Amino acid sequence: MAEVEDTLKRIQSINGVIGTIVVNAEGIPIRSTLDNSTSVQYAGLLHQLTMKARGTVRDIDPQNDLSFLRIRSKKHEIMVSTGGL
Amino acid sequence: MFTDETLDIIGAESTWRKSHQQTQESRSCQTLPVDTAEVETQARDVSDNSTQTQDQISQALSIDRDISDFPGLLDFLHKVEDIVIKELVKNSKSHAFDGFRVNWEDQTESVSCMYRLQHVEAQERGLQVTGVSWNCTGSVIGCGFGRVDDGDWSNEKAYVCTWNLDRQNLNPKRPDMIIDVPTPVMCLCFHPVRPSVVAGGLYSGEVVVWDTSRSQDLILAQTGMSADTHREPVFQVSWVPGARRGEFMVLSAGSGGRVLLWTVDGAEAKLILSSGYALVQQQVPQCGAASRTRGSTTIGVTSVALSPWDLDTFLVGSEGGLVLKCSFSSETVSAVPPDGESVTLRAPVQFSFSPLGGPVHSVHFSPFHRNLFVSVGTDGLAHLHTVLQPRPLLSLRVSDSYVFGVRWSPTRPLVFAAATGQGLVQMFDLGRRSLRPAATVDQNTSGQPTYCLEFNPKHTNLMAVGNADGSVNIWQLSAELTEQGAKETAVLEQLANEVVD
Repeated sequence: MAEVEDTLKRIQSINGVIGTIVVNAEGIPIRSTLDNSTSVQYAGLLHQLTMKARGTVRDIDPQNDLSFLRIRSKKHEIMVSTGGL
Repeated sequence: MFTDETLDIIGAESTWRKSHQQTQESRSCQTLPVDTAEVETQARDVSDNSTQTQDQISQALSIDRDISDFPGLLDFLHKVEDIVIKELVKNSKSHAFDGFRVNWEDQTESVSCMYRLQHVEAQERGLQVTGVSWNCTGSVIGCGFGRVDDGDWSNEKAYVCTWNLDRQNLNPKRPDMIIDVPTPVMCLCFHPVRPSVVAGGLYSGEVVVWDTSRSQDLILAQTGMSADTHREPVFQVSWVPGARRGEFMVLSAGSGGRVLLWTVDGAEAKLILSSGYALVQQQVPQCGAASRTRGSTTIGVTSVALSPWDLDTFLVGSEGGLVLKCSFSSETVSAVPPDGESVTLRAPVQFSFSPLGGPVHSVHFSPFHRNLFVSVGTDGLAHLHTVLQPRPLLSLRVSDSYVFGVRWSPTRPLVFAAATGQGLVQMFDLGRRSLRPAATVDQNTSGQPTYCLEFNPKHTNLMAVGNADGSVNIWQLSAELTEQGAKETAVLEQLANEVVD
């Protein structure tokens, strides 16, 4: 399963990336480059927001689905990629 | 002849008396017979169920679990990898958000003076404000009165005054609390956790801790005059975390060359010396110049800075212009002959930076970068140093006269403020290209010096400045000086890494 590690390493090594978290369908982080407590906090908060955003997109058009979510704050930017393409 | 005769009783009925017997009537009733019926049931199948919460161990372990537990992971990553990388690369090259500023709150455009706090009696006697300190909740400002320009030993009475800025009926001319002190106060520091406790260093070398929440006898603990105390004025007093969590010790540094750590003994109202450090010329590792003096000459300490990142390091600025890096855990015994102190004094100096031309009035560690600090003295320059090398990274001209105090801004990594001898506070922004100050705040003291300044830890747009004319000005800073912009920490990091070879 070195491919998984390679992919994550590729993403993490892009200029400007502070951390990467992979979250499963229940919102529990399964792979992360940040420490445990931060990962759990981010995963929990973003899971809720992603579900809400996905619901919004599908309410507008049932055939559509959320593919990418970006939250830009003063200090950083959080990018969430869901499985739906 | 005469015989006994009995006659019938004759009676007459009373017309007005009635029988007291009530009239009675009797009635009775009965309900219809009540119908009753009996039925029985019995369960044929019985099942038992119970629930219990489980310890959340599984969440902590999920990150360490083997990847083969997640079969869909590889496919998912294949799907999303390209789009994620594309977006990240686009983001790092994008100029879309350059200069884009978001403001959720109202912006104050300019720096304004909120209050000008004075104590009339102290001003009449010509006392100067030598130290200001905010308490840990950010609502009370305390200032100590004393004299800085007096060369002689003085015994005149001084004051420590506090004002509570969050109260409705704040009177700038009348302090909320006035504490009488027998000798001039040289420095002041509020306790970092308990809002009413304040420590002060006096001209006589004593260190006193007051508790302003008491109604009588405000002194919580004091050193008194013993073999342990400083013999010279105490220029800096601070609270440092003690051995146990939640406990704090008082650190005092004076021009006698001693840095002492005291524990507060509330029961005895005494400060007990727990450890001490003495600085002598011989034990300072020189950065090139050979020491010309022989014999142990003590180095008078004028300012101390504690590192918020490394609890073991502290910086000392001396009367001779030296800036020294010291360590609390140093074990070398000091070369000063013991003078009856209760603990052995140690030599803490590990490294010395390039000296300034005159006494170092203030040193302050950057709250945003573990290696940077700024120091000011009588040469009118502010030197930005990194702990890693002796020469300064940057020297900025603050004013033509002495500079008495310097503090980094608690919210903007690149901003610091310096108090000058001309009565101005100059604020510098290292992110700007020019070396001129970003803002100059005039204290309206008609040319008299400004001795100390402090940023409010909770309401970060407030700054307190103490002047030689006995007044304390509270300034509200503009949003430009207090709001952190994007990438400021990165610029600071870059600045710190310009280590000159």
